[in-house]
Amino acid sequence: MFMTKISRRTFIGGSAAMSALLTSPELVKALTSQPYSRVKVANIKNLRVGEPVSFNYPDKDSPALLIKLGERAYGGVGPDGDIVAYSSLCTHMGCPVVYSKKRFLCPCHYSMFDPAKNGQTYQGHASEWLPQIILRLEPRTGDIYAEGVEGLIWGRVRNVLKVTKK
Amino acid sequence: MALFARKDRIPIPPKDAQKFITVCQYCTVGCGYYVYRWPVGKEGGLKPEENALGIDFTKQGVALQTQSITETMHNVVKGEDGKLYNILIVPAKDSPVNRGNYSIRGGTNAQAAYSPTKPTRDRLLYPMVRVGDQFMPVSWDEAIDLIARVVKGVKDKWGPDSIAMKVYDHGGSGAGFEENWAVGKFFFVAVGTRMLSIHNRPAYNSEVWGQRERGVHELNYTYEDARLADTIVLWGSNPFETASVFYTEQMLPNLQGATVEEKKKEYMKGEPAEPARMIIIDPRKTSSVTVAQSVAPDRILHLRPNLGTDYVLANATARAVWEKGWWDKEFVEKRTDLKTFEDYKKKSLMLDVPYDEFMSRVERLTSVKREDIEKAAEWIAKPKAGGFRRRTLIIYEKGVIWGYKNYDTIAAIAQLAALTGNYGKPGTGCGRQGGHQECYFRPHDKSRAKLVGSIYAGGPPPNIDEYVKNDPRAKVYFVSGTDPYLSTPNSQAYKKRVHERTLALTRYLSEQAKLAGEPAGSEDRAKRILEGLEKTSGLLMVVIDMYETETARDAHVILPAAGWGEKPTTSINCNSRLLRIYEQFMAPPGDAKPDWWIFGRIATRMKELYEAEGNYEEAKYCAGMDWKSAEEVFLDGANEFPDNRVSEEDEAMLPAECYKGVTYEYLRKVGQKGIQTPVRIDPKTGQLVGTKRRYVHKFGTPDGKFKWYGTDPWDPDPMKFYPPQITKYFQDGNDKKFPFWFTNGRSQIIWQTGYNDRHLPEKVYTIPLPYIEMNPEDAKRLGIKSGDLVEVYNLEGNAIALVYVNDAPPPGMIYGTMYHWKGSLNHLTTDYTDPKTTIPWYKASRVAVRKLKGNLEDVLKNTSLLPINDFTT
Ligand code: SF4
Ligand code: FES
Repeated sequence: MFMTKISRRTFIGGSAAMSALLTSPELVKALTSQPYSRVKVANIKNLRVGEPVSFNYPDKDSPALLIKLGERAYGGVGPDGDIVAYSSLCTHMGCPVVYSKKRFLCPCHYSMFDPAKNGQTYQGHASEWLPQIILRLEPRTGDIYAEGVEGLIWGRVRNVLKVTKK
Repeated sequence: MALFARKDRIPIPPKDAQKFITVCQYCTVGCGYYVYRWPVGKEGGLKPEENALGIDFTKQGVALQTQSITETMHNVVKGEDGKLYNILIVPAKDSPVNRGNYSIRGGTNAQAAYSPTKPTRDRLLYPMVRVGDQFMPVSWDEAIDLIARVVKGVKDKWGPDSIAMKVYDHGGSGAGFEENWAVGKFFFVAVGTRMLSIHNRPAYNSEVWGQRERGVHELNYTYEDARLADTIVLWGSNPFETASVFYTEQMLPNLQGATVEEKKKEYMKGEPAEPARMIIIDPRKTSSVTVAQSVAPDRILHLRPNLGTDYVLANATARAVWEKGWWDKEFVEKRTDLKTFEDYKKKSLMLDVPYDEFMSRVERLTSVKREDIEKAAEWIAKPKAGGFRRRTLIIYEKGVIWGYKNYDTIAAIAQLAALTGNYGKPGTGCGRQGGHQECYFRPHDKSRAKLVGSIYAGGPPPNIDEYVKNDPRAKVYFVSGTDPYLSTPNSQAYKKRVHERTLALTRYLSEQAKLAGEPAGSEDRAKRILEGLEKTSGLLMVVIDMYETETARDAHVILPAAGWGEKPTTSINCNSRLLRIYEQFMAPPGDAKPDWWIFGRIATRMKELYEAEGNYEEAKYCAGMDWKSAEEVFLDGANEFPDNRVSEEDEAMLPAECYKGVTYEYLRKVGQKGIQTPVRIDPKTGQLVGTKRRYVHKFGTPDGKFKWYGTDPWDPDPMKFYPPQITKYFQDGNDKKFPFWFTNGRSQIIWQTGYNDRHLPEKVYTIPLPYIEMNPEDAKRLGIKSGDLVEVYNLEGNAIALVYVNDAPPPGMIYGTMYHWKGSLNHLTTDYTDPKTTIPWYKASRVAVRKLKGNLEDVLKNTSLLPINDFTT
């Protein structure tokens, strides 16, 4: 159910109460334990299929990649449900992953993660799937916000290193 | 929102957390790990001085440097004291084997630990006895008494060979020297049967007699040799997936040139030191091939022989070496037996056949081009600039072990290494990659049954799968630490017969219960079972395992075994024979017990029963197994090793696993550094010394010389080369009905039958079903896509599998996972075993493929179908 959070159905014709619930910051908090901030990371107008956008989240030391996959993805936002974002530190030993041919590939020991399938390690050494970043699309402006991370970012024991006052 | 609950923080071990040393419970590599344990509710701080790891958790970690800690490395477990603890199980940075690296299997060591609130709660908790179609929990006393009485009764009446078994012989996966020693003492001495078989095969044999009978144990190199070799040969081995960290941590740096400085230190003065070349012999373009190609495309040679033709290819490579004059004359003359060398030259190298003629026959049979064979010969043996010999490390595994003509294949590879002088020097060696870790040690000298070797050493050993399937003299069958309903060759036929035979006994017991009620207690129950075994062709099956395996569904008694971390144990890895201790850090689930305790208790109960009837002679054989601790078993075994107060040269005569003189205390002291077996006691200093690399001075034969062997003649016509189990697929129209070759193997993601993995959400989503790989050409022709379901079938059996289309298998060949908890592709293997060794040929049969209508939506939605062997960007 949560997967279709901002699917076309929800934001065009879905029940108002439902979409309010699904996009409320309270719910995001309930699903994750850390005090994530809400950060604008891209605008839908600037996205091209297969061209990753890098940003840092939840802080400057945590690189992430946003990608419009061109096919419906698990947890994807946007009219086609194909926009997803992930921590780009390989969960194996922390090397930066690269995006190519619809997957993330780590050049250090060759782990490969499927961004359409919740960051699943479908080959390689990484036991932990790539942490997926919860995105929210502001339909009016087309802005895409990062609102939380599901899964432990490599090199940390808690995703939010310093709690800053909003 | 995620597919399963994820964590975004994990508890930090406080400064006073307990720290245990251990080794990964899974594969052959034996990566070192540490376990941190601290009470639930307590937590350390973010600052380095506030936590047990000494890490500054206020900062982002640095790739490849900071200790890796993942969600999967934390769990909450019950300690031996009954209290709840956090555990964090992390790869050891000071382990020489993995240096902080780990794999997708080992990274879940903590996640897979038993927890009553997690899916691993599926573990067996109590002994259980079958009553009709149910299992009823009973006490250990009751279960042990029942088994002891049945084993004794059967043995007294029908002789020891009425007791058969299929039990692990490896280390890791919860087993170690302690378990192996107890299993050996129980079956060899207390029972005295020769109807023995090993977890993954139908008989009790070495997988590599073809090498051992040359005077070389298969574990002879050290992991450093993978960093030092000029050329690494991977023969029927796919280490990226099945020895993952050995591949990425030791072989890849060599390929990348990162070990050149290490080479310079070990090489001779003036000897060229360059990044390695790699030769991979595998019909599939595995990820080990494609990863290597993405690192150094020009230094990778991939040979793809037809299935089962490896011994011809190995001999042909040796012949090419001979023709070009690249063989190591000095080594052959000094270190090998020149009498048997003549036989090798004649039969293996076939020097009587002109080279061109020989090579054209080889090309016809193997489909490998002469120029590629010659290139392999060059990369293995052509001396380097300055006349220095190339250092070649040959690593082989199941692709050839489970191949056609096991004995000759392994002998051919071992001899290629000898011909080229590649034993006993840095950067050389020829041995197994390994699947599991190792720790085989059993009282062969005290065995009451005659145990045999290959056909050249009193054998071959009997095929126990066939024995329990078809011979009414088999009455009791122990299965422990293995799940043959999935894993044995031709498993569909096997489980059908074992089911019929165990059911015959169950039916008898049920009928008697109708007449006279269920027996009152173990003594009565044993009597009735003995009656049933007399009056029917039934088979009593005892399964000892951590989980209720597929095989257990037909058992009469199921006993819960303690697993990794739930008892102390010891083991060696395959790539350097490194002995370390695996400490206990939690309680076993329920009343589960270590296997040494279980077998010890059965033997001890048998002893009491024999004593009660005044049979002190038999009682004697069951004595000395009432061990109280794991270390007691470890030391009991140590007593049986030969005198190891020998010189460095004489290591060659010691058993590969010899650890005499080592104690748990010693192992705790040396920690991750461990000690490499065979261990010697230095005659001068009295100190324990390990053996880094074997056969530096002598081989393990009475005269210290390598013994040659002339392999069997072969015919280049496949119809004359292959055995009837294969040629039947080319007769009577079967070639059209079963148009594909079929071979099988493992996936990096899951370990063996997935006994733990089937409980971990990551694994269940990623590998939801048994699968096959199909070449895009074949897939296109048959209208099959990744994610489709197919039935794969042949004259042996059938299986359902998920399809991944990729170019790993060549056109015309289907590759499948060997087994999975949702089905076994070993249904498709034939019953061929090598007449010299009784080793099966899992790796080839012929099949047809039929697409099923429709798909499984869950699989299409949640399982990645991307090609697993494409690493290009
Ligand atoms: S490579 Fe093998 S030993 Fe090392 S972590 Fe993985 S499964 Fe364990
Ligand atoms: S750091 Fe990515 S695979 Fe090892």
